[in-house]
Amino acid sequence: MTFSPENPLSAEPEIETSHAEEFVEQLRCVTDTLPSRINIDAQSVEQGLAKLVLTLIEFIRRLLEKQAVRRMEGGDLSPEQIEELGLALMRLEGKLQELKSQFGLTDEDLNLDLGPIGRLI
Amino acid sequence: MKLYAYCLAADLDTLGDSPPGISGAPVRLLKIDDLAVLVSHAEIDAVPVTRNNALAHAAVVRSVLDQTTPLPFRFGSLVTEQQLRSYISNRKPALEKKLAHVRGCVEMSVKIIWQLPEDGNNQLQEIPVAEPQGAGATFLADKRRQLLGDERRAAQAAEIAAWLSETVSDLTRDEQVTVRSSERLVLSAAHLVERAQLRHYREKIGEARENRPELHFLTSGPWPPYSFANIELEFKTQFGVS
Repeated sequence: MTFSPENPLSAEPEIETSHAEEFVEQLRCVTDTLPSRINIDAQSVEQGLAKLVLTLIEFIRRLLEKQAVRRMEGGDLSPEQIEELGLALMRLEGKLQELKSQFGLTDEDLNLDLGPIGRLI
Repeated sequence: MKLYAYCLAADLDTLGDSPPGISGAPVRLLKIDDLAVLVSHAEIDAVPVTRNNALAHAAVVRSVLDQTTPLPFRFGSLVTEQQLRSYISNRKPALEKKLAHVRGCVEMSVKIIWQLPEDGNNQLQEIPVAEPQGAGATFLADKRRQLLGDERRAAQAAEIAAWLSETVSDLTRDEQVTVRSSERLVLSAAHLVERAQLRHYREKIGEARENRPELHFLTSGPWPPYSFANIELEFKTQFGVS
């Protein structure tokens, strides 16, 4: 297959935007989340395991919150039940924050990039 | 001796002035049946993921784009010639199908930044709560507000994705779209565009940009079809981690 000399594809790829700085900043955020190297030592293995377990707990916690809000909206719960459920979820959130700081993890650490289907949480 | 594999192509009999490959190695064309693979000799067991290596890989793949539409191999694919021949022989129908899918096309990229919409405070409806409202009920009310905001953002992001897709649907053969409604970089789209339609495609994107000034666009291309044809070699590939 040959393309004519007039073919625009003979030119270098073009990048076009009126907001270059904004895109540089956003794309840098994406690349910063990619590890430049993988360290395998006892401490990082422990943290990696904690990250995995806490990610799953965080995912389930968010599902529980959504379910609670749906039930509240649906009128299934009495005011007392709403209060009780809210307190339980609030304590769960607090406990998870405690565990995260114990392992030196941030909210963003508990988010997995699942590619085309987006992020876990 | 190992080979570094850059891309696979049909309709390619000779290689012109190819840029240097990984570690400056010269690139050559390896014919296997009626297909061609761009390779260079590799004296290393793993390819370090560096800026120079990534650019060298991209430059070699790009160098044949004027002549044909290649299927890029995944970065870091190190193989023996025997493994490569065996892989292509065993996977020939699937590879030919992939080549047919991208033939005559290039990849164009569109990224969109938006201003994240506010949470749905004004949509909060009356919630039956205990009087006086306790900490638990307040917590759930806040969560509800956040969820409303998330849902609204997801709906708006989906609308942007559908609008963009519809705008260029007549000019694209395929698309890969990632939508992230919780982030400012809300959409990343790769469009597989037939070369003959490229000018129209650019015009359409230009119109789209003018029609939605609240969205910030970054468009780029033409690129080899990385998002549509990245070949995963099933034998051992090695990524350098240095």
